[in-house]
Amino acid sequence: MASQSQTAPASETELTGAQKIQQIREFFADASDVGKRALENVLKELSGQVSEPPPPIESAGRVGARLGKRSELTMIVPLVPGGAKRLRTFLQLLGGNLSPGASKVGTLHDMRFVFIDNDTRLLFATSFDGDWDTYIDDFIALIPDYLDLMDSAWEGWPGIRDPGAKDYLVKHQITAEGWFVANPELTLAEIQRQERVSKAVDEFLDKVQ
Amino acid sequence: MSSVNESAAASGAARESMLDLHEIQATVLRPRPAPYFGTHVLLRIDEPSAGRELFRRLTPHIDSADSWWSAKTPWLSVGISYAGLKALGLPEDSLQSFPEAFRQGMAARARQLGDAGLNDPKNWDAAYGKGEVHIGVQAFSDSEEDRRRILGIAREQIDGLSVSILAMQDFGAQPGDLNSLGYKDGIDQPAIEGSGFDPLPGQGQPIKPGEFILGYPGEAGFPLPMPQPDILGRNGTFVGFRKYQSRVGAFNRFLQAHGSNEAERELLAAKLVGRWRSGAPLVLAPDVDNPSLGADAQRNNDFDYANDSRGRQAPFGCHIRRMNPRDSKLTRLTDVKIHRLIRRGTTYGPPYDRNALSEADDEVPRGAIFLFISAKAMATIEFLQQEWINDGNFIGIGDERDPIIGLQEEDAKFTIPRDPVRRLVRGIETFNVLRGGEYFFMPSISALKWLAGLHQ
Repeated sequence: MASQSQTAPASETELTGAQKIQQIREFFADASDVGKRALENVLKELSGQVSEPPPPIESAGRVGARLGKRSELTMIVPLVPGGAKRLRTFLQLLGGNLSPGASKVGTLHDMRFVFIDNDTRLLFATSFDGDWDTYIDDFIALIPDYLDLMDSAWEGWPGIRDPGAKDYLVKHQITAEGWFVANPELTLAEIQRQERVSKAVDEFLDKVQ
Repeated sequence: MSSVNESAAASGAARESMLDLHEIQATVLRPRPAPYFGTHVLLRIDEPSAGRELFRRLTPHIDSADSWWSAKTPWLSVGISYAGLKALGLPEDSLQSFPEAFRQGMAARARQLGDAGLNDPKNWDAAYGKGEVHIGVQAFSDSEEDRRRILGIAREQIDGLSVSILAMQDFGAQPGDLNSLGYKDGIDQPAIEGSGFDPLPGQGQPIKPGEFILGYPGEAGFPLPMPQPDILGRNGTFVGFRKYQSRVGAFNRFLQAHGSNEAERELLAAKLVGRWRSGAPLVLAPDVDNPSLGADAQRNNDFDYANDSRGRQAPFGCHIRRMNPRDSKLTRLTDVKIHRLIRRGTTYGPPYDRNALSEADDEVPRGAIFLFISAKAMATIEFLQQEWINDGNFIGIGDERDPIIGLQEEDAKFTIPRDPVRRLVRGIETFNVLRGGEYFFMPSISALKWLAGLHQ
């Protein structure tokens, strides 16, 4: 299931634009009429763009995709019996938004927890600044209990302090094939700085009037 | 006599150590002497048996960290690269027990280290990055005479063996132990819990020994995974060896372009580092240099950033605030204690010349070879290169990079916070260019004996 591809999706696109279009038509040959019609309409619109170099998606460290400064992490993990119930209750206790704990991390833009397959598996998706494992040692040192509390619902989770913890995460992570970020160069710290600047400018303008 | 030596005498701060000091190599814990003289020797093992014979001969001359605070000089230390361990005939399962980045070598980790452009391994000096450097020997001394004597001892052990000398680099920074850009260096080192010596004022909470030496608990409460077998890993550590060329002309041209007189230029030079050239920290001496403060080991590191939270004294992007943010507010959840390195800076070449302004001056062979020492040196150097050196996001200054050791992009800038508005200085160049690098494992004394006895 998880993490078949350890490389960034962009690395294998050596085909020319025309070849790519031919290939996608072949793959749509057995699609529905609705799909085929839509493809032709979209291709018309994209015809000028497909031959341009793809956006520079890179690898986010060991696994995951990264665009500019923003990386994505998507995991599907099996849950222990009763794990979904525990985790759901815990998430509800925190109002479902994990704030303010999550905002302390300083790099997390968002997180979502989705229970799937009749509560037997968890889909976890997040986006964050930088590479995947750069700050993992800081998490282990500073917020180990939060991680273990969440992750103890995961089947086979060895504990964040276990040397095998990073390998467990990598094993269950699936690199996204598509990864769009509207402002790939804006880190969370930069966004927050710009918010402060914007407020300060407004205050200044109010005062000089 | 070293400054630690003097301060030990002054405060009587030596205590019983919890570490096997007689097993740990001297260079790991013993500070650079003052004044200092030394030599780096890089070797290639041409026959496995010759490598093992070299370790049999050399090991009795390798010093331990016993009583490291009352520094005896001179001393020798030795590190082995992954290629070197292979060349010695280390069994495969043992080789595989070393961390991946160490096995790949520093040149192969260029992407993770951000060693691109000017710093790309393809621009390195001939000896480095090719898997040919197997052994690094370091001689440290407090006199030129002793340097020659101890280097002679090292060379006697090499003579007649199928071992090639790839490079020899003498080091020392006379007069005054100043680095190639003219600053006193090596002041702030991490304090290690249980190492037998009370921290100097400002060194901060002692850090768990397992962060720096294998086999002891680290900050997370347990020891890091160790190379196997145990006898090989325990009391050893890893060393990131990085050779920098200082572009003194470019540095001086930058100061000239942005300072109209000597006082302005010296203040700018201090703002880049966070200390005056004397070593006096800007937080304690914000407006003018204070050489006696700079020279006093009890006072020159005794500060934090509690009263400089806006960077009016030490800019957020200055070198020392990056390398040890202390209590600075960081944008990310960070444990500053787990990203520290013991460093032995060894300056080589002619001293700093403030009148050197030409591009030819950029290529005068002068700079520093650093030994960055930690039980997880590879991971820590990669973290520092990515986060604290070649980025500014962690401390809220966007893309700015370390003005001293960063790899600068076109039109790089440096922000100096001040009232009423900040000063933005443009035209920062890469003032120190990487010219070589290797990872070494620095084994314990027992491990050196064990390596010498392989295949017997």
